[in-house]
Amino acid sequence: MAGLELLSDQGYRLDGRKAPELRKVQARMGVFAQADGSAYIEQGNTKALAVVYGPHEMRGSRSRTLHDRAVINCQYSMATFSTAERKRRPHGDRKSTEMSLHLKQTFEAAVMTQLYPRSQIDIYVKVLQADGGNYSVCVNAATLAVIDAGIPMRDYVCACTVGFVDETPLADLCFAEESGGGSSLALALLPRGGQIALLQMDARLHQDHLETLMEAAMTACKGVSKVLDEVVRQHLQEVSVLTGE
Amino acid sequence: MAVDMRLPTFRSDSRSNSLFDRKVNKDLVVPGDVITTDTGFMRGHGTYLDDDKLTASVAGEVERVDKLICVKPLKTRFNGEVGDVIVGRITEVQQKRWKVETNSRLDSVLLLSSVNLPGGELRRRSAEDELTMREYLQEGDLISAEVQSVYADGALLLHTRSLKYGKLGQGVLVQISPSLIKRQKTHFHNLPCGASIILGNNGFVWLYPTPGQQDEEAGGFYTSLEPVSLSDREVISRLRNCLLALSAHKVLLYDTSVLYCYEVSLSQQVKDILKPEVMEEIVMMTQQKLIEHEG
Amino acid sequence: MLKSKTFVKKTRSGGVMKIVREHYLRDDIWCGSEVCTECKQESTVLQRDACIESDLCCFPHYLIPDTNVVLHQIDVLEDPLIRNVVILQTVLQEVRHRSAPIYKRLKDILHEQEKHFYTFTNEHHRETFIEREPGESANDRNDRAIRVAVKWYSHHLEKGGSDGPKAVLITNDQGNKEKAEESDLLVYKCEEYIKSLIANPELVDRLALANDEKNDISSSKVLFPEHFPLSRIQVGIKSGTFLQGTFRASRDNYLEATVFVQGEGEDSTEVLLQGLQNLNRAIHQDVVAVQLLPREQWLAPSSVVLHDEREAKDEDATEEEEKEKAMKNIADDAARKPTGRVVGIIKRNWRPFCGMLNSSLIKESTRHLFTPADRRVPRIRIETRQASALASQRIMVAIDGWPRHSRYPNGHFVRSLGAAGDKETETEVLLLEHDVPHQDFSQAVLSFLPKMPWSITPEDMAVRQDLRALTVCSVDPPGCTDIDDALHCRTLENGNLEVGVHIADVSHFIRPGNALDLEASNRGTTVYLCGKRIDMVPELLSSNLCSLRSNVERLAFSCIWEMNNKADIVKTRFTKSVINSKASLTYAEAQLRIDDTTMNDDITNSLRGLNKLAKILKRQRIEKGALTLSSLEVRFHIDSETHDPIDLQTKELMETNSMVEEFMLLANISVAQKIYDEFSECALLRKHPAPPPSNYDILTKAAKSKGLAIHTDSAKALADSLDVAKVDGFPYFNTLLRILATRCMMQAVYFCSGMDSDFHHYGLASPIYTHFTSPIRRYSDIIVHRLLAVAIGADSTYPDLTDKHKQSALCNNLNYRHKMSQYAQRASVAFHTQLFFKSRGILNEEGFILFVRKNAIIVLIPKFGLEGTVFFDSKDKTGPKLVFDEEGPTLMVEQHTFKIFDKVKVTISLDDSNVQHQKIRMSLVDPVIPGVSVPVTEVEPPAKKPKLDC
Repeated sequence: MAGLELLSDQGYRLDGRKAPELRKVQARMGVFAQADGSAYIEQGNTKALAVVYGPHEMRGSRSRTLHDRAVINCQYSMATFSTAERKRRPHGDRKSTEMSLHLKQTFEAAVMTQLYPRSQIDIYVKVLQADGGNYSVCVNAATLAVIDAGIPMRDYVCACTVGFVDETPLADLCFAEESGGGSSLALALLPRGGQIALLQMDARLHQDHLETLMEAAMTACKGVSKVLDEVVRQHLQEVSVLTGE
Repeated sequence: MAVDMRLPTFRSDSRSNSLFDRKVNKDLVVPGDVITTDTGFMRGHGTYLDDDKLTASVAGEVERVDKLICVKPLKTRFNGEVGDVIVGRITEVQQKRWKVETNSRLDSVLLLSSVNLPGGELRRRSAEDELTMREYLQEGDLISAEVQSVYADGALLLHTRSLKYGKLGQGVLVQISPSLIKRQKTHFHNLPCGASIILGNNGFVWLYPTPGQQDEEAGGFYTSLEPVSLSDREVISRLRNCLLALSAHKVLLYDTSVLYCYEVSLSQQVKDILKPEVMEEIVMMTQQKLIEHEG
Repeated sequence: MLKSKTFVKKTRSGGVMKIVREHYLRDDIWCGSEVCTECKQESTVLQRDACIESDLCCFPHYLIPDTNVVLHQIDVLEDPLIRNVVILQTVLQEVRHRSAPIYKRLKDILHEQEKHFYTFTNEHHRETFIEREPGESANDRNDRAIRVAVKWYSHHLEKGGSDGPKAVLITNDQGNKEKAEESDLLVYKCEEYIKSLIANPELVDRLALANDEKNDISSSKVLFPEHFPLSRIQVGIKSGTFLQGTFRASRDNYLEATVFVQGEGEDSTEVLLQGLQNLNRAIHQDVVAVQLLPREQWLAPSSVVLHDEREAKDEDATEEEEKEKAMKNIADDAARKPTGRVVGIIKRNWRPFCGMLNSSLIKESTRHLFTPADRRVPRIRIETRQASALASQRIMVAIDGWPRHSRYPNGHFVRSLGAAGDKETETEVLLLEHDVPHQDFSQAVLSFLPKMPWSITPEDMAVRQDLRALTVCSVDPPGCTDIDDALHCRTLENGNLEVGVHIADVSHFIRPGNALDLEASNRGTTVYLCGKRIDMVPELLSSNLCSLRSNVERLAFSCIWEMNNKADIVKTRFTKSVINSKASLTYAEAQLRIDDTTMNDDITNSLRGLNKLAKILKRQRIEKGALTLSSLEVRFHIDSETHDPIDLQTKELMETNSMVEEFMLLANISVAQKIYDEFSECALLRKHPAPPPSNYDILTKAAKSKGLAIHTDSAKALADSLDVAKVDGFPYFNTLLRILATRCMMQAVYFCSGMDSDFHHYGLASPIYTHFTSPIRRYSDIIVHRLLAVAIGADSTYPDLTDKHKQSALCNNLNYRHKMSQYAQRASVAFHTQLFFKSRGILNEEGFILFVRKNAIIVLIPKFGLEGTVFFDSKDKTGPKLVFDEEGPTLMVEQHTFKIFDKVKVTISLDDSNVQHQKIRMSLVDPVIPGVSVPVTEVEPPAKKPKLDC
């Protein structure tokens, strides 16, 4: 029989999670010394690395300089070995350009760019292994990297991809679920205030479902934020223990 | 050539439960944390007001000075203050000024008028000088300087109007986090081990052989091209690795800590200092030594 | 609560693809047993007292079947006796991969609360998950997983006390059983276990025979070529050497079938199959792969009627071969069609078949042949010990398999439907055979009914227009309880007329997505059989709350037009409303009121107004080219006590019929336009495609025989030429012609506007059409109501309503149900006709020849609306000389020439030699042809009974 049963009658998903459960999230901050901020995150089998440089003087075209705030420059890329099929991904292909743009929009909503007029903040993310929810994982990684760089943000930006199967919202989709049809929605949230930084959806979805789906996405994002919060506090504790006298 | 390869290992948690397991009672916050809802406080760096709630915007330690509340991030770009000693690199030569990369959020400015040109303090800057700026300092040159003032947008204005500042010659630059540089009376040290160090407040540390005699006339733009002796180079390399070791373990840098570390490391080969376990050991001994001498 | 132990499952597919999936193991998966105190489950499924009386297990126990048991013995599992079964996830997944229909059935059982079936997600349980070991096959791994789960269960249940229930593994695999015994598990073979059941010996009959295959005498001759494995078939289909299609057995000839090969666009082809070898064990509706034979072996479809009527014993193939040869000889060159043979089965489409048992000649034998009611399905061999009890009953049998050396497929008894010939049983059979869902409504469905006593709430009133004051009345056939439409008409101040069509607001009660809605959408339509109605919605709605009875307040969906006296629509308005019908009339009563000039009340005036407008509307419609077709519908007068048909009568049409019809059509068209304007992508519409010109051949030929011309270029031309086609002294001719024209038409279908571009309704000559007016009996109308409600802002939309793919799938179901309900209806009429003639004995009647065939004429008897075939050749004796002329078409029998529309006299009698297929037999009386016609039998008038009609 074709197709996978994404959600069993007992309410278990392919990998044994229940509908609102996230995958296991592991993260580390400050993985590179050279960069101003960096972070590595694993969300299930999706792994991403984020690096932040800046704020610094505008590089490249000066003309993009904004006189009242910093420019955020994002670059999203995927490693050749990140998917099941090995594939060279040239820079600036449509998909990654779009993703870069989404990341940029997300972080412009969260980073207090007005504190750094005429400067530039670079956020580079690379997906090392793709298993669904690439955008969300990248946002989460980048958030940690930005915090690591000491760049002021209103709040964490947490993102999560949710799908809609059998009238049930599934949180944090894995690749099989993402490609198994049905619409999926990616939401980036500032969890404390509940403001939405970005909402993206490609497939069609009836508007009646949108509310439940958003609700589920927000809950999932808050779940992610809890995990990230823990990671940040742990990191903070570790480092301040070292420096503290 | 022997190559030393190692597999990644989990970061040992030993340091958190050893000597360093002193629970710091610092007020640590993360972005979005509400620090206080009391409106009587003033909003400092690293905070913002969200509906009258004073909220942290960076992850770090809350500092309270009277009514002013700031959050100091663990790691950040250099926020210069007047009087800071910096080490920087020229990135651009413009009309009447140089742009200097100083690890701050915007490039710093060194005006032609705030450098000492050969020929004494009172020399007038002519149009000719503007044309020959590149002869003094060109792109890629390293300089030491002092912050003269801070612009509104956060950019720094530098000056080198002292003989201790100026172009840097032969030596090694080590870049570390600015927060690890301890503020001191002087940031220029001639270490007893036979090398000198400039601990730039911006996290750029310059290591160079101790000059024989100060050449007053050079005005800071003379660079000796004489070969540096092997022993000096060794000492500088060792110092560099010591600095890296200390910074990896977030130990504050100042002359004593560097010197102690240097002394402790003498038992090891220069290249071995960067091995994680050796690094840890050296840093631990350094810190012990520091504590002993403090007390 | 999530033990995030991450196990990684690696599967390789293709060459280089490496798929890594996470596999979370949990410790919050509960055992589902009432006994258990450890698990923190909210509700339990498995009972404490899980006892099935058995010789083997005299203690409470839970059954855990393995995959093969589920696949083969699903009929046993479905038995109400078998309860408290744990279905492991491993088993469920394997079943899902192996057989979709069984998976569906298994899921149905799992949902049934009385069955106490529990799904245990063992693959995600921390203690029962196992990894495949190197060198272990996937099947072995699954077997081991099942054993591990059973082991876990037995330990787990032991904790609840030693007298608690035990886990019993049911497997048919010897190896698996041995291994399970080694690890001290309770394990039985399925047969062992079922045979040990004390209370229910008949359950043994339901055991599938699958396993006997090996025990069978393997020496017996192999009758059929082997089926190719699926992999080879797929390669063959790709390369074009094989064709894939649906197997359609012939109704009349058991040695012949066609395979319908769906091609792209127009090039669908039919491949002919002849002979048992070539049919190769395919059964009606299977998806098969066929290989075309070389062109010189192509055959023409035979027109011979052959029924497999041999006894089970003589499995001698020679006779068969002779028959096959006989068939082939008939084939003439021109008529040859692509011929092929079945090389493999892609998908079996077996369902349980209704039919009857042919008892074996040997009394004690347990093996019997079963003859399905559907002639297209071969006989099935079953094993039962209750043959004598079942002999005169209609039973259901499922096929288990068809081994190569067996002449017939093997199957097993599923259940008995009742005594053959019994009205109840036969109705049940025809419902089952036509796939009409007719079970009582489940509790889940009934729970969504409004609570009684029901009344209109002020909230309802607030959002509806109050039309209670209007003189609304309904006009329906007598005895109608599900009144879904009512009308009104009044004169406005400006001289125009306001006409309202009020339709029961069923969508108010049936909310999208709930069980009631799903049930209704599955049923699709109410099925009217003779003397029985299979409701689409529960009776409370169909005959009470939704029925627009007189003098009660009812919710309605109204379509109100303002028309001028020429019946031109000035304004159209749709609204949800509340009405209070003033009268429920029958067509006859309404007609009387209109005709009775002395009556002058509101209702009558309203009716007159309506009637006047309807006439204009009808004229306009006919001018546009709408067809008036004719088909004979009969009504049975059913004896109120015995429920046997006493008399039958063709339906009479009155002006009022047409009056109601006109307004319904108008409402449907108005609504169709409105919902299409609002939802261009997902409006549910109904279309009637124009028939291809070749369909009219028979009609034009028939007319030509009477010297008349029928123009079929357009609907208008057809309608016009039908109107003028009249033969003096033959008043019934026009009706006959119209009956013929009806047979040329295509089937009207529902479709989703986003999926099609041709909306035209040929018969009604309307560019757009839908069904809006009978929501009580048609689900399509409910959807249309919902669409319209959204369009006028009276209700909110919901996701499936605007999903054109789902809408389209729904249309397919509705079309299927609609077709099936018509078939069922016809079958029911046929059955009742038989009953009628059974009671009447032999009758002589006049009739007209409707069609002329090679060896027979088909006669229509207008009095009964009955059609029958008069054969001129018979099996036993040499028939008369027949000369068939296709052009006429005429048939010359000896000296007499039969033409279409000829008047003949026949005797009608019931041929009940075959209990399963009773039929009406007609034989010719007049014209008298020696050796063909029969003498006029004296008709015994039936015992005088008070006639209800006239």
